[in-house]
Amino acid sequence: MTSTEAGALAPAPTQRKRPIGLLLVAVPVLLVLWLIIWPIISAVIQTLWLPTPDGGRTFSAESYEFFVSDPYSRANLAITLWTTGVCAVLLLVICLPIALYLRFSNSKIAAYVQGLAIFPMFVPSIILSFAFIRVLGPNGTVDLLLNSVGLPKIKSPYLTPWGPVIGLVWDNIPLTVLILLSGLGNVSNQAIEAARDVGAGRFALLWHIILPRISNSILVAISFAVLGIFSAFTLPYVLGPAAPEMMGPFMQRTFRDLFDPTNAITQAVITFGFCIVFGLFYVRSVAKNRTP
Amino acid sequence: MSVLTIKDVTKLFPGGTKAVDSFSLEVADGELVCLLGPSGSGKSTLLRMVGGFETPTSGLIAIDGEDITRTPPEKRPTGMVFQSHALWTHMDVAKNLAFGLKLRRLPADEIKRRVEAVLELVGLGGYGSRRVTQLSGGQQQRVALARSLVLEPKILLLDEPFASLDQHLRERLREEVRDIQQRVGITTLFVTHGQDEALSMADRIVVMRDGRTEQIDRPDVVYRNPQTPFVAGFIGTMNLIEGTVSNGQFTRAGFSHRLAIGDGPATLAVRPEALDIVPAEPGAGKVHRVTDYGTHGLVDFDLPDGKRLKAMVNQPGQFQHGQGVNLMPRAVAAYRDDVQVFRSAP
Repeated sequence: MTSTEAGALAPAPTQRKRPIGLLLVAVPVLLVLWLIIWPIISAVIQTLWLPTPDGGRTFSAESYEFFVSDPYSRANLAITLWTTGVCAVLLLVICLPIALYLRFSNSKIAAYVQGLAIFPMFVPSIILSFAFIRVLGPNGTVDLLLNSVGLPKIKSPYLTPWGPVIGLVWDNIPLTVLILLSGLGNVSNQAIEAARDVGAGRFALLWHIILPRISNSILVAISFAVLGIFSAFTLPYVLGPAAPEMMGPFMQRTFRDLFDPTNAITQAVITFGFCIVFGLFYVRSVAKNRTP
Repeated sequence: MSVLTIKDVTKLFPGGTKAVDSFSLEVADGELVCLLGPSGSGKSTLLRMVGGFETPTSGLIAIDGEDITRTPPEKRPTGMVFQSHALWTHMDVAKNLAFGLKLRRLPADEIKRRVEAVLELVGLGGYGSRRVTQLSGGQQQRVALARSLVLEPKILLLDEPFASLDQHLRERLREEVRDIQQRVGITTLFVTHGQDEALSMADRIVVMRDGRTEQIDRPDVVYRNPQTPFVAGFIGTMNLIEGTVSNGQFTRAGFSHRLAIGDGPATLAVRPEALDIVPAEPGAGKVHRVTDYGTHGLVDFDLPDGKRLKAMVNQPGQFQHGQGVNLMPRAVAAYRDDVQVFRSAP
């Protein structure tokens, strides 16, 4: 055996700090600052730094006090929270079984089910709204079919709180299924088999092995759905009741019909306050995933 | 007393692929049997059928005489250790081990006692509160073994458990696993494509090829007396020389050897350690490469028709590239139509 003398290590090339990376992220960061962060700050300032009759401005929480004391505004917030909560629960109840089926089924039908589950992603909300009205609305397809066999009409969910719920759930199924499916992709077949090997039945498998492993994905899916639903406009506007109304149509009406920008902005800031909670859930979840 | 019986088991996958073909085996109580074969030989499919993760197309699998062919995995008295450990990373070590016991509704103090005992058994005492992601590959594999053993299964199934570990760790762990298996006295079926593992651990080796059994024997017998050319070529290093026998003389491109079998084509099998070579000019072969391993040397040399052979030598220094050598096999086996037809005394 021969031995070779190790040569001295070559000096590391001098690392010049190049600002290319920072320049690349600068454009999106500046856009976020300009189009999102600044409007938020501006909105908060506008709602707390109110104009006075003498032409000046003074610090006042008056617009927030009005929102909290106004029963109609509170009812609108309540219906928005109710719709968001119900949609989140329904999405989980509907999408989790679909995602589980797609992940663990070897059947050829799974590919069609996946295509069907993703389909709503390509249908614009306004088309969906009119399809909903034609099918579930008064004298819609369902009513016609029931009538043709001599059955009474259904109590249509159109223009009730359930109208936006049905539309928003349908609209959010694709993204929720995709996020849950990606989470389930991290549950290995061997982890499942190992659980079955030690005696886990279907329920124990779901509760003790699968759900804890995809809890992060569930959180992300629900955060995304809640963020979208809370500030939804088209579906609640077209399908929802006139009063109380969800925050999206409420803001639009306050601004355009009542010409009251201060209260419209106040409603926007309050909506943002609720959304940011779920946004933080999402950011925390992403950060947790990236932590080595 | 736990005996595993596999009788005429066949597994046909959709598309017509026959992964296992009329396979039969009986594993005695406390015995460790290795299923050894190349990729695609059906060994893992067979193990998965014993574990309940695949259902045989036909045949019978029984433990202590009880038919478990169609029993789902969660109801079988078997414990499986997977290649990728398959530990549940959201649980700590103790919870991984306790999961199966909790499903069996054992009292908490009994669960704690059994978990601690099995952790001691695999040399991980005090590791119960560690997260599995904080453990090394070897420690994770020991946890996987402990997870199976804590349930006291009748049959332990090991599916290439050391495949993802480095060579050093693999050697250490296989000794430990064999030691634990003997202490517990558990009947074990072990799948591997590593012949070293099979030869060093098994009471018996089943060499598989295309879903069928090629040979079932003790490791020393499989090594010294392979029954088919496939086994001869698969276990250890073997020179397989195809040639012709005429009037009791085997010949191939300048090499000949006395062989007391009938005339016709035959394959001669000689282990490198049973093949002596001596420098000779012009010689029956020419040296291609000499490798010095310190304790011994390995000489690769070519017959005139290009057939490359290997011989183990004590003094590799006396051989060099291009040098002529003559061959003198000390122990040979001969095969014709995949059947051993001759074997000289070792």
